[in-house]
Formats: sequence, structure tokens, C-alpha cells
Amino acid sequence: MEDKKITPQESMAIITKMIEDSKQRLATPDTRVSVMWATLSIVTAVLVWILCSVTNDSRYNFIWFSIPVIGLPLSFLMGRKSAKKRVRTYVEYVTDGIWRIVGYISIALIAICLIYDLFDYSNIWLAMFYFAFIVVGFAAAATGVVLKEKSYLFGGIFSTVAGLIISVSSLCGIPLLMSWVIPLYIFCFFVMFIVPSFIIRHKLKKTAE
Amino acid sequence: MKELNPLLHSQLRLAVMSILMNVEEADFVYLKEKTESTAGNLSVQLDELSSAGYVAIEKGFIGKKTRTVCRVTDFGRKAFEEYVETLKEYLNL
Repeated sequence: MEDKKITPQESMAIITKMIEDSKQRLATPDTRVSVMWATLSIVTAVLVWILCSVTNDSRYNFIWFSIPVIGLPLSFLMGRKSAKKRVRTYVEYVTDGIWRIVGYISIALIAICLIYDLFDYSNIWLAMFYFAFIVVGFAAAATGVVLKEKSYLFGGIFSTVAGLIISVSSLCGIPLLMSWVIPLYIFCFFVMFIVPSFIIRHKLKKTAE
Repeated sequence: MKELNPLLHSQLRLAVMSILMNVEEADFVYLKEKTESTAGNLSVQLDELSSAGYVAIEKGFIGKKTRTVCRVTDFGRKAFEEYVETLKEYLNL
């Protein structure tokens, strides 16, 4: 292509061709980071559940810390890779923004929990659980709206509602037993991220054919 | 009939603006590939669009490599929309 004068018909043809050529990128959301966080959360939850149930030792709850310890550096590395992407759509810009906010909230909440823990309020760590259900669920639903992907939307709403039920149960003094809270946590992360990722991949594969 | 904006009524500049209207941002290599232009020519045309305030250019680094990222400004978006409206009149659309 050169810097030459064109007719109105050629102008329209150029606009149409360039929009068509760059359109493909609009429909290909990258789900790798969310799948990584979901897998890490699910594996950690299963580990905590098994170890706490088998040994009856609540100290295994410290394994929850492996989520930010492993997830943050991995997420940073994967983010660096995506920074090399040569084109970024508005949809990617918005979804990145949503998850960046979730990341900042999680860091702030960890800091708050650490401060409260110093004053012997160790129950404060339950707040991370509410965060995982409600804030992450809401962000997944918002991602679903932006991507126009119903599976994300439903998964996110399900998780948010589950989080509200857990919060209300906690306020009413109903014990949050591992036997129902952890399976619910695993199920929420599965429907929020793993299922939508499979659906999106399937749709992309179908489109490519 | 209104005259077509001469800054946009050029093959390469129009192609660049059409791509940038469709995405949030794109780097120099992507634009070069999609427009099938030479680096020198693309660079000159991007400078023209940037001088007119249609495109914002950000130069940065990824590792040791330089990376030029371009995005359309609000002013450029408005100019492009006006260009398309005038184009429709020319083509009786």
C-alpha cells in the first residue's frame, strides 16, 4: 500500500477490507490467565479439603496462601507475554481493567487480613472466602457481559449468589463447614472459568472450520 | 458536495485509520503487516496522522526491543466518522 490518491469507491473498499482483516481479533478472548487462577484455586481447595479432613489439623489451611504465592508471579509472567501482543481490542482493554481491579482488591484485602491477624483476629481470613465468591464472581459476570458470553455470566452470577448465601449463613451463625463450603467453592470456580473457557475454545474452533 | 478530508483520502492513511477505529491499539508491526506497506512509508504517514492529532503514538520498550503503539484519538475518531459520512454522500449510500 502506498500514499496515493484514491476514488470514493476505493476508499470504501479499503475501509471494508481493513475492518474485515482486523475483525478476527475481536472474537478471540484469551482465557489462559483465568484458567490458570481457576485451576490453582481448585487444586488448592482439593488439597486443603483432603488434608484437613484426613488429619483433622486446621493448620493445613495455610495452603490457601499458595494461591497468591504461585498465582501472582505466574499471572505477571503471562501478562508480560500478552504485553507483546501486537494489537489490543477495546474488549481486551475492558476485561483487563476488570481483572486488574480484582487483583488490587485482593492485595488490599490480604493486607487488611494480615493487620487484623496481628491483633489475633484470625477469623478475618474468612473474608478472603467471601471475596473469592462475591468479588471474583461479580467480575466473571461482568466479563461475560463484555464478551457477550453467557457461560461467564451465569457462572459469575452463580458464584456471587453462593457467596451471598455463605455471608448470610455466617451472619446467622450457621457454621461454614468444609463439607459443603469447599465443594461449593470448587464448583463455582469450575463453572465460572473452566466451563466458559471450554465453550469459548469450542466456538473458536467451530469458527475456524 | 463537501470535500473529502484530504488527510484521510489517501490509501495508506485511510487503511491505518480503518484498522485503528476497529481496535483499541495496534503496534507498528501489526499495522505494517495489515497494510502491506514499507516501514519508511508507514512511519511517514503515521507522523502525518499524529501531527494532525488523529493518532496518538507511544514509543516504549519490551525487553530490549522498541515498540511503537498507535491508537486513534477522539479527534481522529470524529474526523473518520465525518469522512465516512461524506463518502456515503459521494457513493449515494
